[in-house]
Parts: sequence; structure tokens; C-alpha cells
Amino acid sequence: MLRILRLPALDQVIEILSAQESETLLMAGGTDILPRPAALASTRLLIDLSQVAELQGIALDAEGRIRIGAAVTHQEIVDHPLIQRKAQLLSMACSSIGSVQIRNLGTIGGNLANASPAADSLPALVCLAAEVALASPRGIRFLPVSAFILGPGRTARAADELIESVRIPVVTGRRVAFFKKAGQRRGMCCAKASVAMCAHRHGDGRLTKPRVAMGAVAATVISVPAAERVLADRVLTMAVIEEAAAACCEAAQAIDDIRSTASYRRHVVGALLTEGLAEIYDHMQDLARRQARRRRRRS
Amino acid sequence: MRVDIELGINGSRSRFAVEPDERLVSTLRDRAGLTGTKQGCKIGECGACSVIMDGKLVPSCLVLSASADGADLLTVEGVAQDGNLSDLQQAFVAEGAIQCGYCTPGMLLAGEYLLSRYQRPDTAQIKEAIAGNLCRCTGYTKIVAAIRKTAKKRSLVKSSAQGR
Ligand SMILES: Cc1cc2nc3c(=O)[nH]c(=O)nc-3n(C[C@H](O)[C@H](O)[C@H](O)COP(=O)(O)OP(=O)(O)OC[C@H]3O[C@@H](n4cnc5c(N)ncnc54)[C@H](O)[C@@H]3O)c2cc1C
Ligand code: FES
Ligand code: FES
Repeated sequence: MLRILRLPALDQVIEILSAQESETLLMAGGTDILPRPAALASTRLLIDLSQVAELQGIALDAEGRIRIGAAVTHQEIVDHPLIQRKAQLLSMACSSIGSVQIRNLGTIGGNLANASPAADSLPALVCLAAEVALASPRGIRFLPVSAFILGPGRTARAADELIESVRIPVVTGRRVAFFKKAGQRRGMCCAKASVAMCAHRHGDGRLTKPRVAMGAVAATVISVPAAERVLADRVLTMAVIEEAAAACCEAAQAIDDIRSTASYRRHVVGALLTEGLAEIYDHMQDLARRQARRRRRRS
Repeated sequence: MRVDIELGINGSRSRFAVEPDERLVSTLRDRAGLTGTKQGCKIGECGACSVIMDGKLVPSCLVLSASADGADLLTVEGVAQDGNLSDLQQAFVAEGAIQCGYCTPGMLLAGEYLLSRYQRPDTAQIKEAIAGNLCRCTGYTKIVAAIRKTAKKRSLVKSSAQGR
């Protein structure tokens, strides 16, 4: 017999989780749970997290990091000015999820906990060095996203823990970022492969502290240190872009499945990185031209 | 064990005793008798079941009725006012944006939701707004045109009201 508890407070959820009743399931937006056939057949207690006060909201935490409550929806992330200004990459990634209907229900906590290799928020969160905050009777512990995600559908969450929030360190300075996703069509589809990138941009055309991560080309989201090394401290040129793209293709541990083939995935991550970096290259050329014009006018 | 819930549907509140795993689309169609909301895929892909819940467009097949307790809903039955088709509905008719009609209730609510967020959406924004709504008949062009036409009309009405 299924029972549903719609709890308003985090400590109530923690109390029930620590009682360790079997067949208890947490649900936020339900967009991963409810489409499954016989979704709740073996569930006895369903805890609806969508109203838990402590899991809401986007704001800076005491340490100056961006805190996104676990039950915040993808659309709230896309629309939020703080995310647009300070974590634009995440807003780009979340805007590519499903449709507006799915983004209005689906949450960042659900996307993380579900741990799909194709989950779109994950490459962005890895590039942004985000941490997952896990709440339990023992308090809150923090794990980097890459340590939280263990495999397809597998995470480091203990049975009595829930995701409380995601924390993103704020970095200052001029930034560039992109999220590119290859799917069957633009709307409403799971990634065959995805690439996220962010970096600091300098007036002389150099990128520093580049971060590159890829989705759907391995058992988990992976970062691509080889591509980061190619890009770091170098002026972005077409030759550099080609070299970085080759590093992405090399790093992809892609598989064949219903959505795509391994060889297509390996090829397409290079193409996605090239497309994204080429846009950044154009953007930087534009900026340089404008600056030169301004300088000429002044002298 | 049934769950007692209250829903505000198109401005009037009613109580229902629902199964714990019941989806909102079933409560609307089978308990409230509002069959305008359609069920297509039951997995969030087609948008036929879209309703506006507390101001947000959601697929009602992926909402448990028990989780919707207390919510305010707008379904297609609430779009017309006093028996008169809304401007968006009239534009759908005029543009030929309806063939079999199965997607129409969801499309209308997706359109209303878009227009509640943007006064003058461009074509890309309109296409993005209905990306979660499948239509197997019209080819979308006429649906996009109907929404664009309504957006233009509404913003003209609004600016002339402000000008006065
Ligand atoms: C039509 C459709 C299209 C989609 N398209 C995309 C897409 O393009 N990209 C993409 O990445 N995803 C996509 N998804 C998947 C899904 O929408 C996302 O993964 C979403 O973020 C899940 O969030 P949720 O709140 O709905 O999760 P739920 O279904 O509520 O939960 C998912 C899992 O997370 C657990 N969980 C939820 N919250 C917590 C928490 N706070 N602590 C611990 N565990 C928790 C649940 O127990 C469950 O195991 C799509 C889904 C549908 C139906
Ligand atoms: S029936 Fe709900 S989206 Fe298809
Ligand atoms: S009119 Fe038939 S599905 Fe859209």
C-alpha cells in the first residue's frame, strides 16, 4: 500500500530517512520517476520533496558561494539573474533540458541523484567546480560533483542522506562559456553527447583556467584534462581549437546504445567543442576589433 | 487508501478523494469530468496533457494528484470566457491551426503560458515554447502564426490602453 508524505521541513525528511524503512522513495519533480512503467509499484512510502522549505531558493551562502536548493527547478535556474551573471554555463545547460513543461517540474537535485550519464546539468556543474551538499542526521557534508557521481544511476549518497543543495564557487573576471548538445532534435531529447566549457578570457586573446567536461560519452560525466591543457594560457586560434577537439575525441569512452553509436559519439564531441570554441573565437575577435576602434578614436 | 485533496480548477475549488498514485490528468478527466485535457503518451513527451498549475505550464501526466493538493489549475475549459472563445482560440481557428484537435488544448495552454511570460515573443521563442507539444497534423507553421498574431494583438491593445 503506497503512502505519500508531502513534508514542509528538512528535519522531518531526515527523521524519516534515518528510520531506514525499506521501500521509501524520495521524489522532487517526478520527471525521472513517474515516466517509468509501474513507477511506484514497489514503493511503500513516497516522500514528496517539492514543498520542503530548505530545499528552495537560489542565493549566496555564508561563504559567498551560489547555493541552489535541491528542489529548485531547471526553469528557475534558467530565469535567475544570479545564475545568468555568475554561472551562465549552468543556465545554458539547464535551458537545453526537455521542454518548458519538463523544466518547470524537473529539479537540479533530481538530475544529480538520478545520475544519468546523459544528464545535462552535470557537465556544466563539473566545469564550475560545483559541490553537492548532502544532509543527514550527522549534519551536512560536501562532495565535488565528480566524486558524488559513481556510475550510471549510482551516487555516493548514503541511504539516510538527501541532496540539500548544490554550491558553486563564484569567480570574478571576464568569462566565456558554452554548452553544446547533440541529440535527435533540438527540443525534448536526451543527449547523444554533450560538451561544456568555461574559461577566463583575457584582452590579449588568451584563455586561462579552462574547464572542459563531456556528457553521455562514458559511464559518468567526465572532465577532459588533455583538452584543458591544450587551451590553457594560449591565444585561441583555429589550430588550437583543432588540437583541443582531437583531445576530446580521444578522451571519449563512448558506447553503442539505442540513442547512438560509439564512433558517432567520438566524432561529435570534437565537432561540438569546435562549434563552441569557434563562437568564442568570433566573439573575442569582435571584442578586439571594437577595442582597437575605440583606441584609434581616442588617439 | 484514498487521499483527500482540494484543487482550484478554472477558478472554483473542489475536493476529491484520489488514489495515492493517481496522475492529475486522470483526476481532471475521470473525477472532475473535464475531458478537454488530453492524454497521449503518459511519459511527459507529447504535451497533450499540459495544464497551467500555480502559474506554470506542466504535463499533468507527470504530476501526482496528491502532490497537487491546494494548487490552482487552468485547463482548456477555463480558457474561454463566458462561453466566448479567447483571442488565442479565435486565432487558432482563423489561421487553420487545428486539424484533428488532439494537441490543441495543450497548445493553447503552452501559448497562454508563453504570453504570460513574454509580451512580444519572436518566432524562435514561440517555437521553443511549443517544443514540448507534439502535433501530428498541422506542421506547426499555423500554430506559430496564431500565437504570433495573438501576441501582436494583445500588445497593441495594451499599448493603446497605456497611451490613453
Ligand atoms: C520528456 C522528458 C524529457 C527529459 N529531457 C531531459 C534532458 O533533455 N536532459 C536531462 O538531463 N534530463 C532530461 N529528463 C530527465 C529529468 O527531467 C531530469 O533528470 C530532472 O532533473 C529530474 O528531476 P526530478 O526532480 O523530476 O527528479 P525525480 O523524478 O523526482 O527524482 C529522480 C531521482 O532523484 C532522486 N531525488 C530527487 N531529489 C532528491 C534529493 N533532494 N535528494 C536525494 N535524491 C533525490 C529520486 O529519489 C529519484 O531517484 C527528461 C525527462 C522527461 C520526462
Ligand atoms: S500525456 Fe502527458 S505529456 Fe504526453
Ligand atoms: S491538430 Fe492533430 S495533433 Fe495537432
